Amino acid sequence: MNRRVYLDHNASTPVHPEVVQAMLPYFEEHFGNPSSVHAFGREAREGVETAREQVASFLGVGKDEVIFTSGGTESDNFAIKGIAAARKRGHVITSQIEHHAVLRTCQSLEESGFDVTYLPVDGDGMVDPDDVRRALRADTILVSIMHANSEAGTIQPVADVGRITRERGIAFHVDGVQTFGKIAIDPGVFGIDLLSFSAHKIYGPKGVAGLYVRKGTKMVAVQHGGEHERRRRAGTENVPGIVGFGKAVEVRARDMAEEAGRLTGLRDRLWEGIEARVPDVRLNGHPTERLPGTCNMCFRGVESESIVLGLDLKGIGVSAGSACTSGNVEPSYVLVAMGIPVEWAMGAVRCSLGRGTSAADIDYVVDCVEPLVRKLRDLSPARA
Amino acid sequence: MLIEHFRNPRNAGMMRDPDGVGESEYAACMDLARFYLRVREGCVVEARFQSYGCGPTIAASSAATELAANRPLEELIALTERSVEDAVGGLPGERRHAALVVAEAMRAAARDALERAPRGPNHGDQHV
Repeated sequence: MNRRVYLDHNASTPVHPEVVQAMLPYFEEHFGNPSSVHAFGREAREGVETAREQVASFLGVGKDEVIFTSGGTESDNFAIKGIAAARKRGHVITSQIEHHAVLRTCQSLEESGFDVTYLPVDGDGMVDPDDVRRALRADTILVSIMHANSEAGTIQPVADVGRITRERGIAFHVDGVQTFGKIAIDPGVFGIDLLSFSAHKIYGPKGVAGLYVRKGTKMVAVQHGGEHERRRRAGTENVPGIVGFGKAVEVRARDMAEEAGRLTGLRDRLWEGIEARVPDVRLNGHPTERLPGTCNMCFRGVESESIVLGLDLKGIGVSAGSACTSGNVEPSYVLVAMGIPVEWAMGAVRCSLGRGTSAADIDYVVDCVEPLVRKLRDLSPARA
Repeated sequence: MLIEHFRNPRNAGMMRDPDGVGESEYAACMDLARFYLRVREGCVVEARFQSYGCGPTIAASSAATELAANRPLEELIALTERSVEDAVGGLPGERRHAALVVAEAMRAAARDALERAPRGPNHGDQHV
């Protein structure tokens, strides 16, 4: 086994070489604490503020509207809890297919006395903006809808939702972790008040992310202990990570449009190759309104993890739609919410492509999937 | 060894006119293992399997068919999870259910073969 093909970019991406180079001086040379007043600290501060400018410029927002955090999960927690804590009580609207960083946070709000509505999605994984409108109440304080789901890749009509929330003056949070740096996102145009985004999904380092908070949004800090990030998020900044994040965003601004087109072509090549050669397979997610590099498929009669393991033995990294932990297999809650029958959902596999993916990689994957699925089906007994 | 059995499963597929069939399902994760046994004079001469499940379940099924070969049915009806796990070279902690479902299916196949067996010295000759 020599060939290695990584098709799990929605989980994480390799750090771009330009990003690594940008980060290196901040480990040994500009290592100061950005809160310090001396030159060492000022050098580090300059790195952080340059990155903030890079992110703000990419999003078309003000520099002071960007807060750095430790990850997408923290950004989601911060956005939702920060809004909730400022209002003390009320109603929150989200969807059934959000990342657990949003779902579990909303569940924790319910335990604190907030009401939460979890909106359904259609068979393509799409939220209906009219459902958002219908779910609004007089005491609704927040709507949180992801821009695109990490599993199915369906891109949500966030601009339509943003128009509704803006009309009513309700805060609108968007988990943009899977779309930031991959497709266009403009908080001003989309009516977004809070946007979560992360570095390691766009060839930046792990452990650094951001939250855009529109100026005037009423929220409070949830992490205390310092004056960092304009008193909104306490804690010494991850300077090399933030510098790397800034560079990653700069690279995305340069490469994003070209790469989106290329990955869409490869994504479709993958699906068409598999559909032509493997029977009883279905594509999940919206046929066109979908992340450029995401291809989620269900193979009937085969268990996801067997495919993941079989492809791993061929040097291919993909992710399973169902996970076997402690002897329990749970089909993906996202696919279940989309109405996909359990016997199909058990065989879900997600391939997510990235900047290093080539047409030859895709053809190799198709060549490996067909005999593997056939073998696993041959092994499988018919159920009584 | 687990990976090798998953990569190249031994004795996979159905058996025509088996002398014993047994299966078991682990409902929590829908894993299903089924064994087919060919028996001569109370001993397994061939075992085949079909399995649906994660990699360890398929690998453990494959290993169990090798474990069963040339064994008396009386031994197989007491096959333990531990011996299946040993046969596949160990299982990750959260995948021990693979040995459970496989051992249970093999015990069921052995019981079925014992129940079906006419107690004569030439039992099974018609399958040669």
